[in-house]
Amino acid sequence: MNARAGQEGDPGWREQPRAVPADADPPGPDELLRQSARGDERAFAALYDLLAPRVYGLAKRVVRDAAQAEEVAQEALVEVWRTASRFDPARGSATSWVLTITHRRAVDRVRSAQAGAERERRVAAASVDTPYDDVVEEVTASLEQQQVRRCLKGLTELQREAITLAYYGGYTYREVAEKLDTALPTIKTRMRDGLIRLRDCLGVEVGATDTPAARG
Amino acid sequence: MSQPAEIHALAGAYALNALTDIERAGFARHVAECPACAIEVAELIETASRLSAAAWENPPSRLRDAVLIDVARTRQVAAGTSDELRQQAQEFQEFQEARPAQSAQSEQARINAVLGAVDTRIVATSLGGGGRMIVAVSRTLDDGVVLMSDLPALATGKVYQLWLINGASPASIGVMPPGLGSGSALVTAIGGANTIGVTVEPAGGSVRPTSTPIGTVNLI
Repeated sequence: MNARAGQEGDPGWREQPRAVPADADPPGPDELLRQSARGDERAFAALYDLLAPRVYGLAKRVVRDAAQAEEVAQEALVEVWRTASRFDPARGSATSWVLTITHRRAVDRVRSAQAGAERERRVAAASVDTPYDDVVEEVTASLEQQQVRRCLKGLTELQREAITLAYYGGYTYREVAEKLDTALPTIKTRMRDGLIRLRDCLGVEVGATDTPAARG
Repeated sequence: MSQPAEIHALAGAYALNALTDIERAGFARHVAECPACAIEVAELIETASRLSAAAWENPPSRLRDAVLIDVARTRQVAAGTSDELRQQAQEFQEFQEARPAQSAQSEQARINAVLGAVDTRIVATSLGGGGRMIVAVSRTLDDGVVLMSDLPALATGKVYQLWLINGASPASIGVMPPGLGSGSALVTAIGGANTIGVTVEPAGGSVRPTSTPIGTVNLI
């Protein structure tokens, strides 16, 4: 399990007990979320500073409107604070937990607000302007962004389109099937096997490590 | 343990939030009964959220103040509560029934029966002001279960009240005890009712709704 031990650290450097974090090593999202769950507003502010661009960016990508994205981000972050005690590190990272809440809120917003004609329009518009195109055009520098983009390229076209339309576009898998003119069972399968391929490419593991270091 | 492959194929769509609320609740039920599936789903959710890295964008600076002001006046839910369907069903004792008292045990049995019935339909909705309501109804049993979760705390003197609505005549299902952020209630004698709704009412509840529902689900 701890294959990493011994790879990092200079000779002679001793591991410190985890309960006493070094001053130079600020707590990551997992620890900040745990502190937030105990009512620590300063920890929550620090968590905000770490994750707000991810939260806001995701909300904006899905709702496609800056003002609404701000509202969704605010609702999601306050929900994170309110329900912080429910975070279970065995089921994933704090970052993922926060972003899952955000994505759910954003998707709810898109689906409930845009009934009827407006929604049809959006579905039609997105067939020209797929969210993935936006993604690849963005000039970015972060390592994680590059990794995500590289791994998305490793998917088949159908896997990639199905996943990006659902995640960045907020579409249900039925809508995705319709848009891509593909049978429903095929879309279901491509979403799952595409995510599995992404998981392996990104090296995602859940509950398998005991390192408190959070993935940012 | 032979899980229908068909429902498990939804794991990807579930992780991507690409299911409707009904399908979502059904899948959550599947995962609750399948530990191996739960691991895969957790991994796929983690994977999906990595995709957000590509959408990174600095928010306006006012967002920080707005969030932190909200946080300062938002009460947190107690540790140990969970929004899982079945675990919520266990919490029903906390929910005071306005209907004639039945023994807790028989109510729990009826809740389990609804959650397990083959004809059970599950409908969920987000509530105005925050929180979610999930309703599971079995027409053959004539029973339903209402699950409330993530409810924001109300001002003092206000409570959440649930209604079973048959045409134009709402009957009270019950009042949630003040301060409870989640809970569930058995709804009996659904009959021809077409809607379940929730309103905010003065403490103690009202005979008839006195405000616009903050959420409704259609039972038909």
